Order: sequence, then C-alpha cells, then structure tokens
Amino acid sequence: MIFLFIALPLVVAGLLPLIGKISKKVLPDILANGVFFVLLCYAVFVGRSLISKGPIVQQLIWLGEPVNIHMALDAFSLFMLFTVALVGLCVGLYSIDYMEHYGDKATYYALLLIMLAGMNGLLIVTDLFQVYLFLEMAAIASYALVAYGLGQDELEASFKYLMLSAVASGFIVISIAILFGLTGGLSFESVAAGLRGLDVKYEVGICTALFIFGFGLKAALIPFHAWLPDAHPSAPAPISAMLSGLLIKVSGIYALTRIFLTVLGLTPALSTILMYLGVISIVVAAFLALGQRDIKRMLAYSSISQVGYIILGIGLGTPLGILGGLFHLLNHALAKSLLFLNSGSIQMSTGTRNLDEMGGLAKRMPFTAATSLIGSLAIAGVPPLNGFWSKLIIIVALVQAKMWAFALIAVLASVLTLWYYLLIQRKAFFGQLNERWRDIKEAPFWMTLSTVILGLLCIAIGILFSLIIKTWVAPARDVLANAAQTMIGARGL
Amino acid sequence: MTLSIGLLVGLVAFSVAAILVRDILKAAICLAAASLLLGILFFVMKAPYIGAFEISVVAGLITVLFMVTIALTKAEGDVRESKLAAWAFPLFFAVFLIIDVLVMKSLIGKIPTQTTTAEGGSFGEALWKGRTFDLVAQIGVIFAGVFAVLALFRKRSKDE
Repeated sequence: MIFLFIALPLVVAGLLPLIGKISKKVLPDILANGVFFVLLCYAVFVGRSLISKGPIVQQLIWLGEPVNIHMALDAFSLFMLFTVALVGLCVGLYSIDYMEHYGDKATYYALLLIMLAGMNGLLIVTDLFQVYLFLEMAAIASYALVAYGLGQDELEASFKYLMLSAVASGFIVISIAILFGLTGGLSFESVAAGLRGLDVKYEVGICTALFIFGFGLKAALIPFHAWLPDAHPSAPAPISAMLSGLLIKVSGIYALTRIFLTVLGLTPALSTILMYLGVISIVVAAFLALGQRDIKRMLAYSSISQVGYIILGIGLGTPLGILGGLFHLLNHALAKSLLFLNSGSIQMSTGTRNLDEMGGLAKRMPFTAATSLIGSLAIAGVPPLNGFWSKLIIIVALVQAKMWAFALIAVLASVLTLWYYLLIQRKAFFGQLNERWRDIKEAPFWMTLSTVILGLLCIAIGILFSLIIKTWVAPARDVLANAAQTMIGARGL
Repeated sequence: MTLSIGLLVGLVAFSVAAILVRDILKAAICLAAASLLLGILFFVMKAPYIGAFEISVVAGLITVLFMVTIALTKAEGDVRESKLAAWAFPLFFAVFLIIDVLVMKSLIGKIPTQTTTAEGGSFGEALWKGRTFDLVAQIGVIFAGVFAVLALFRKRSKDE
C-alpha cells in the first residue's frame, strides 16, 4: 500500500513524544531510523514491483471499506521516494550522535518524520491542492528544525525562511485557485483535461509565472534564493543535509516538474525561461560560493548552483536532458548531504565553521577528510564519480540540442565548482595542522558510518552508473518524457 | 455588491493596519477584525461553512491564542525596528493595488462560472467523501505546528 509512505512516519511521529518520556534516546533513535529503513526497503522491493506494468493509482481501503484517498505511483515518484528514503536514512543515522547535545531527541525525530511524511505525500498525490497541503506540512516542520538550536542566528534564519516560504506558498495557492476557477477541478488529470478545451492562454501564463515564483522560491533558484544561504547553514547539520539534499528538490524541483510537464505543459517559452533561470543560478551562485569563508554557507550557495544544473537539464525538455537532470538530482542529493554532514562533524570537533581557522584536519579526522574529498569531487564532476556522469549527460543533451552557449557555461561553471571545492579541501583538511586542533578526534561512530555510506554510494553510483540509470533514472525520465509528449499532442504546443 | 465592496475595503484596511500598528496587541485585534470581515464576506458569497470556520477559528480561537501569548510575554526594553517597513510596505501595497486594478478585473471576468463547486452537496459530503486526503494532510500540518511549538519552547538542560 503506497499510503505507508505517509502513514508510517506520521504515526511514529505522533507516538514519539510519548515514547520519549519512557526512553529519551535509544527508542527514538531506533524508531526513527527504523521508519527510514522500512520505507527504503519498501521503495526498493515493493515499489518497483508495483509499477512493473506502468503507473498505478491506488485507493485506500480502511477496514474493508474504500476511502476517498487516491494515491499515484509512477517511476518518477518512486525514484524520488527512493532518494528521500536513502538520504533520510543516512541523515537519521548521523543524528544518533550529532543530536545528543541538542536535547529532546524525540521531538526532533518527530519533526524530521513529519517533514518526511510531507515530502512523501507530495510525491504521491494526484491533486493540486494536496500538493500545497503536503508542501506546507514539510515546510512547517522544516522551519522548526532550522531553529532547533534556539540560538539567535538559527531563529533569525528560520524567521527569514518562514517569511519567504510563506510568500512562495501564497503564489502557489493563488495559482491553484485560478486553475480551479478555470477548470472546476483540482486533480492533475481534470485540470489538464479542463485546460484542453479552453482558450485561456493569458490566464495559464499568469498561473505559470506564479508557479515559477512559488516553486522557484522553494527550490531557491536565483533570484529567489535569499533565504537559503541563511537557513541551510544555521540549521543543525543533519537538517542542512535534509534541506539541501531533499527538501528543495521535492518541494521545488519535483513539484515544478510534475505540474509543468503533466498539467500545464512545457511550452518552448517556458522551457527557455527555466533554462535561463537554471544557467543564471549555476553561474551566480558559483561566484557567490567562491567568496564565502563559512563552510556551510559555501555549501549552501553550491546547492543553488547545482539546482541550476538540474533545472537546466529538465528545462531543456529533451529525453536526454531530463535524464541528466534527474540523475544529477540523485547525485547531488547524496553528495551534498555527505558534505553538509561532514561540515557538521567538523563543527562538532572544532566548534567553528570558518574555513580560515581550520587547516590540516585530515590528520585528525581521516574519515571525514576522505569522504569530504569524495563528495567535493563528485559534485564538481570529476570522473569516475557519480556527478561526472550526470553533468556529462546534461552537457551532451545541450550539445545535441545545439545549445552551445548553455553547454559552454555548464562546462565552465563546473571548473568554478571544482575551484571552490578544492578551496574547502585545502583550507580545511590539507596543509599544516592548526595547533588549536591538536587534540580533536574523528567524529563518533554513527556520524562517521553515515558519511562513509554516502561516500561509498557516490563511488558506487559513479562506477555502476549505467545500472542505476537503467533501473531508476531512465524509467522516471520515460514517465516525464511521455507526459510532455502527450501534452504537446493534446494541446498542440 | 456594495456590501461586498464595503467588506473588502474593511478587510484590506484592517489587514494593512495589522501590519503597520506597532503595538502587537492592537495588531492582533486588527487581524481578528479582518478575519471577521472575511468570514462575513464568505457568508455573503454563499459559502457558509468556510465562513463559520473563518470566524470561529481565525477570528476567534487564534485571536485568543495571540492574546494569551502576548499576556505571557514580558517587555524587555525597546526593540529597535527598521524604518524600512514604514515606507516600503505602503509602496509595495500601492504597486499591488495598481496592478490589481489593471489586471484582476479582466482576469476574473474571463474565468467561466463553474456549475459544480467544492461546496455543492452537503458539507459532510465535501469533507469526508470529496476531500478525505486533505484531512490526512491537515493532521500532518497540525502535528508539525504542535511539535514546532514543543521544540521551540523546550527547556534546555545544563549539559546541552
């Protein structure tokens, strides 16, 4: 039953504060990680068999009676559910040790699981208004998680995030209201079908613009990025990893892609706008990242830049472009989560995020240094790591589509990415060990384990890239390419 | 029509006042008044269920929560606020109004009137049969809000 993706985290989240009264640490750790593990297994073993014959729509059956809850699963949503569960599990494992000093782990895990339920819900709904509701569920949990440290910076960043995110939600809900007014329906199918018979070019244009503002803000595309460089560094490291690795992708890119490709249709004009937004994000954020001294802030700007690549690939709209975009989404989720978790390990050991104060940490934190190097090279696109293949596919797709300028910018920005990631490596891990850090130790077991898993995944996906593409990414691409094709045929775009 | 316009003007005026007044208690009252007018507007527009919810939850319950919270808060010195809001907000508001006047009328005019709406049929039917999944999401949103309050107002022990 696909409903498990929402029900399990929600139910466990509801029970956690009570369980937290009995066991403050061990049971919440086991339960939260158990949920991530079960959902990962479910996505890999059951989810794939469910969609073996194509996309499915399931109706919830409660005590033998059908309930009006319809959920859809196709290769695109399953690919995202798999990514969410995989990264979520690593974040959960990391939290076991990292969240010790924050206190009240049960509430932390409850919020984390609600964020998970919100993201999973968004991935399986078939209705525009439910997209908005699950988006809000994940967002509200994330505001609290960003401020979980209760420091001045955390609270300020969370407030800024809340304000801008509320504006984004406002844009999205206005657009949904206009579409409801136009078509009288809210489900993806009925809105798409309703729009086919209407001559409402300008109204759909306004809805499209509002969705771009709204989801662009959620995905932190430039120029809608102002909240991200504050929110992501201020949050506890596992939450930074969740936000940068998953939330901006699910509530920004997934929702945008799903609505544009299956409901409104990817017009040539929209495709161009998305590609420009993507390329501007890639370049501007890469330059902004270069100027940072705070390691987490640098990673946050890097996220904006890499989201640009994903949007560039998907916005191009060709099957190869979509494939590259989706593959980069998975690779970036893994590598960026890894890097944010590593930044948490560094901050926990040294008490600083300032790169200028670090130096030679590899001698004291060998696992963190090694996995950080893997993550950096993966995102920069160095072969044979996973990020190389996804960037290569995006660039080949751009060249195939004769978008020479975009392809050139993508290549040059990749060099820039490598530059600032090598800066992190040089300043934090290489060189002479700063005397201040003579007595620091490697991160605790669970933190190291989760970063090692993510590092190994980056290498394994790089080596087995064709298998991963064949099993997970290509089926997701087919769903989107077919939907885009159907829209073009139906509305003569 | 005149009544609706009057209610809308009042709604906008109280909303603007809620942002601009410096006393948070007055701001909360302005917000409650705005919600009340919105609730009445929903009644006028023949959407009684949403009107009742708006008045009971937003104008009533949430206002009470605001009042209690404000009563529990102690004033600790003056907080200096940016002067930016004082001129930036009216400016944005004016721009919004201009765009609204120029665009919205023709836009709304083009939206065809629907024969079926969410409130066609009884309230129970709409809620339990039509929009059941929304309730699951609403439960999640409420959970998120409750746990957010628990997290942000938790007491930290000395070793944390």
